[in-house]
Amino acid sequence: MIQKFLGAFIAALASALVLSGPVAATPAKEAPWLPEAAAYRLTLFLGNLEPLPWDDVGTAWAEPYRGSEFSVGALAWLDRESDIGPGSLLDAITREDRQAVFAEGTRLIALRIEEELDQAIAAEDPTHAQQAVWTARELYRAFADGIAAADPDASRRIGLAWLELNSSTGSAGVLGAGATPANRETTEAAREVISGYLAENYLVDDFAPRRTLSALPETAVLSGRTIEVPPSLPPGSDIFDQDPLPRLVLNFEEQGIDETDLPLVAYGDMLFDSAQIFGNPAQGLGVACSTCHNRSDVNQRLFIPGASHQPGAIDVDGAFFNPIFNDRRDDPIDIPSLRGLRFTGPYGRDGRFASLRDFTRNVIVNEFGGDEPTPFMLDALLAYMLEFDFLPNSMLTPDGQLTEAAPEAAQRGEAIFNTPFAALGDRSCASCHVPDANFLDRQAHDIGSVAPGYEGARAGALDTPTLLGTAYTAPYFHDGSLPTLAAVVDWFDETKSLGLTEEDRADLTAYLETVGAADEPYEAFDTENTAFRLAFAELTTFASTIGTLLPRRDAEHILLLTDTVAADLSADASTMSNLPARPEVYALAERLAAVGAAVRADDWKAAEASWTAFKSEADAIEERAF
Amino acid sequence: MPVHLTRRTILTLVGAGAVSLATPLAAQDVTLRLAFIPQENPDKLLGDIEAITGWLAEEIGVPVEGFVTIDHAAAVEALRNGDADISFMGALPFVLAEAEIGAVPLLSEVYRDAPSYTGRIFVRRDSGIGALADLRGRDIAFADPISESGYLYPLAEFVEAGLVEGPGAAEEFFGRVFFAGGYQQAMQAMAEGLVDAAGASQYADLLLTPQQQAEVTWIAESAPIPSHLVIARPGLDTDLQARFVDAMLRLNAPENREKLRYLYGPDGYVRADSAAYDGVRDMARQYGLLR
Repeated sequence: MIQKFLGAFIAALASALVLSGPVAATPAKEAPWLPEAAAYRLTLFLGNLEPLPWDDVGTAWAEPYRGSEFSVGALAWLDRESDIGPGSLLDAITREDRQAVFAEGTRLIALRIEEELDQAIAAEDPTHAQQAVWTARELYRAFADGIAAADPDASRRIGLAWLELNSSTGSAGVLGAGATPANRETTEAAREVISGYLAENYLVDDFAPRRTLSALPETAVLSGRTIEVPPSLPPGSDIFDQDPLPRLVLNFEEQGIDETDLPLVAYGDMLFDSAQIFGNPAQGLGVACSTCHNRSDVNQRLFIPGASHQPGAIDVDGAFFNPIFNDRRDDPIDIPSLRGLRFTGPYGRDGRFASLRDFTRNVIVNEFGGDEPTPFMLDALLAYMLEFDFLPNSMLTPDGQLTEAAPEAAQRGEAIFNTPFAALGDRSCASCHVPDANFLDRQAHDIGSVAPGYEGARAGALDTPTLLGTAYTAPYFHDGSLPTLAAVVDWFDETKSLGLTEEDRADLTAYLETVGAADEPYEAFDTENTAFRLAFAELTTFASTIGTLLPRRDAEHILLLTDTVAADLSADASTMSNLPARPEVYALAERLAAVGAAVRADDWKAAEASWTAFKSEADAIEERAF
Repeated sequence: MPVHLTRRTILTLVGAGAVSLATPLAAQDVTLRLAFIPQENPDKLLGDIEAITGWLAEEIGVPVEGFVTIDHAAAVEALRNGDADISFMGALPFVLAEAEIGAVPLLSEVYRDAPSYTGRIFVRRDSGIGALADLRGRDIAFADPISESGYLYPLAEFVEAGLVEGPGAAEEFFGRVFFAGGYQQAMQAMAEGLVDAAGASQYADLLLTPQQQAEVTWIAESAPIPSHLVIARPGLDTDLQARFVDAMLRLNAPENREKLRYLYGPDGYVRADSAAYDGVRDMARQYGLLR
C-alpha cells in the first residue's frame, strides 16, 4: 500500500542501524518513536552525560521529544494508553538516582511490551491484534540495538518471533473478503520467545550497576564481556544538512580553476566531509566538519539533546563527543560560519587560537576524539578552508560601502553605523566591524554579552564577528540568544543606552540586513540539478586525488579517502531521484572500495586498474547521476 | 495492513468551520464529510485532517469535516449510510466498494509522475538469488495478505512464472511465507537475513538505511498497480463533487503542494480513470475477493 509507504517515508526510516566498516556521512533518518520508547532512549543518552542534566531527564518523560509526531509526552501517553503507572520511575528521577531511573525505565518499557502482547493475544479480531503487535514491536525497538550488539542469535530469534507473531494474528481481509483466521498456538509460542527474553534481561528485579547506560541485556552485562553498542543519537536529534543548503563560494572555483587540478585542496575538501578523521561517537554517527558547517557556512537545524540548547548550537566540549575533553560546563555555542576564514582569525568565539592549524587540530583531536592528524591532513584541510570566500553581495563594494542597489533605509542606517556614541566610548559600530576589513577588527572585546562564570571573572571578551553573510545565519551572538538582526540592534540600543529612535533602529537593522545579504545565498536545485548531482560531483572530485596519491604509494591517505568516499557515494545514492541509475552508482562505489582493498593488500597494480576503471565509469554515468 | 489506533481515536471528528456564507451550497446547510483511513500515527493524522479540511472548506465554500475510521470497511460503511461523502481508499478496497455500494472514483494519487506503481521481489545482493525460481524452498516476507504491492501483485509474478499454482498455493513453493505487517518490516526482515526475500512496493527499499539500500536488489517487478484514490458515495451532489475535485486538483499548483503532506503525501492528484482499475478488478476476482 503506497500510502503506508509514503507515510513512513516522509518521517523516513531505518530503525536499526547496522554499522559495519566505514561509516558514511549520510545519516539515516529514523522512524518516529513511540512516546515512552523515546523518553527511555533519551534517558539512556542523558544519563551518560556528566554532569547529568536531571531537568532534561524529567522533561524527556513529561514533554513530546523534539520533532515528535505525537502531541503528548510519555507520561500523558501512558496515562491514556496503559495501565502501568510511572510512579516509581518519577520517584527515582526526583531522587536523582541514576541506577534506579535506569532500572525503573527499563522495566517500564518491558512491561509495556508485555501489556501490548497480552492485548494481542486477547484481541478478538486480527486488526486489533496486529495493532497491539505493532505497538509492542515499536517499543521493543528501544532495546533492539543492545540485543543485536550483545547477542546476535537472540536478536535473530526474536526477529523471527515478531514475524511469526504478525503472521499468526491472521487478517481481517478487506471489506470482509479474504479474511484469514488467527493461529493462536503459533502466536503464543512466538510471544513466549519474546517474553522469555524480556523476563531474563529487562524485567529484572535488581539490575547490575551500570557504568554506562545502554539497552544491553542484563545477561550480557553480567557476563562481563566487552560489548560495543554502535553509537546512536537519541530521539529528537537532527544532524541532517539544513534546507535550503547554503551556497559554497570557493575562491579558486570562481576564478575558473578546476578542483581536480588542486589535489591538496580536493583532499582537504574530502577530509572536511569525512567522519573518519574523528573518533567515536562522532565517527560512528557520520559527523564530519561539514555536519555543522554546511558548505562552509552553518547548519541552523543541527540539534543533539543534552549538547544543544537550541537548533544550530552545540557544546563541543561537553560529555558526549570526547569525555576526556569534557569541561563540565553547560556552554553550547551557536555554530559560526567559516566563510572568509582566511580573514577572520583568530579562531574560536573568543579568539583563543591564533593559528587555524592549531584550531583545526583541536577540533579533530580534542573536541571530536580523533587520532592525531598527519601533517598532510592538516595541510590539506587548511588549503581547502582558506579557499572559503564570502558570498558576493552586489549591494556592497569590496571596501564595504553600500552601492546604489542598497535600499534607502540601509543608506540611512549606514550613517548611524558610522556615528560615534559617547556610550560606546566615542566609538561607532564601525570601529569594531570595520567596513573595509570585512566588517571585523580581529580583536576580542567584552561587550557584556557573556555572563561571568564566577564573581570577578574577566572572561567575557569575544572575537568580533564579521557581519558579512549574516542575513542567513540567525540566531546571533555566541550563544544564539538573539533571534534576529533587529534584536541585535535592540540589544545594543538598550544595554548601551544609545538613545536610538524607532526609525533609527529600523534603519540600522536595514543596514545590517543589507551588509549581511547575498546575491545567491543558497544552492539552487531542480529536477536534474539535484543535491545528489552536487554530491556526486564532489565525491568524484575527492576521488581524483587518488591520481596524485597512487604514484606516491601513499597507502594511509588513499585508504582514508577510499573508506570515506566509497561509503559516502554508496549511501548518498539513497537520495537519488533517478532511481534506475542507482545500481550504477553502487557499482562505482565498489570500484573505489576495490582501490582501497588492493592498497590494503599491497597490490598496487590492481589498485591502479580499479582506479582507471573508476574514472571511466564515473565519466560514463555522470549524466545520469541525479 | 495493520493500522495503529489509539483506543480513543476511532471515529474521531475534526471539523473546519471556515466557509463563505455567500455560497449557495452553504446556504443550503451542506457539509462535506471526509473519511480518512489511519496510518501508523492517528495522533498526527488528526492534526493533518484539521489543516486540510480547513483549506478545503475555504476553497469549496462549504463546511468540511474529517473522520478517522478504523479501517477501509468502516469507511465504506460510512459512505454507504451517508455518514461520509468522500473517502481516501486503496485500489483493492475501492474495487470491492464499487461492487458493493457503487462507490465512484474521483481522483488518483500521483507518485513520481505516475498514477501507478509496482510491486517488486527484493533480495540481498550477496544472497546468490538471481531469479524467482531460486526462491524455491526459501523464506519470504510479504507486507500484508491484502496489500496490492506488498503481496497480491508480487505473488502474481510467481504464478506467471509457473512456480506457484495460484493464490493459496504459495506455501507449496516457498519454505515459509510471513506477513511482516508492512513494507518496512518485510524489507528489514530480508535485509537483516531473517528471510531470503521480500515482496513490497517498488519504493520500499527507500525505507531501509542508506547502507542497507546498497546491499539489496530486486529480481522481479509486477505489472503497474493503479495508485490509491479518493472516492465518493453514490448520489453525492454533482456540483459539490465537482467543486471538491477542482479544489483537490489545485493542490497540484506549486503554491499548494506543501499541503499534500497532510494527505498521505502524494506528489499530486489526477482525475481517476476507472478503466485503469480493471487490472485490480481482475486480480480481486483471481484471489476470490470479488465475484
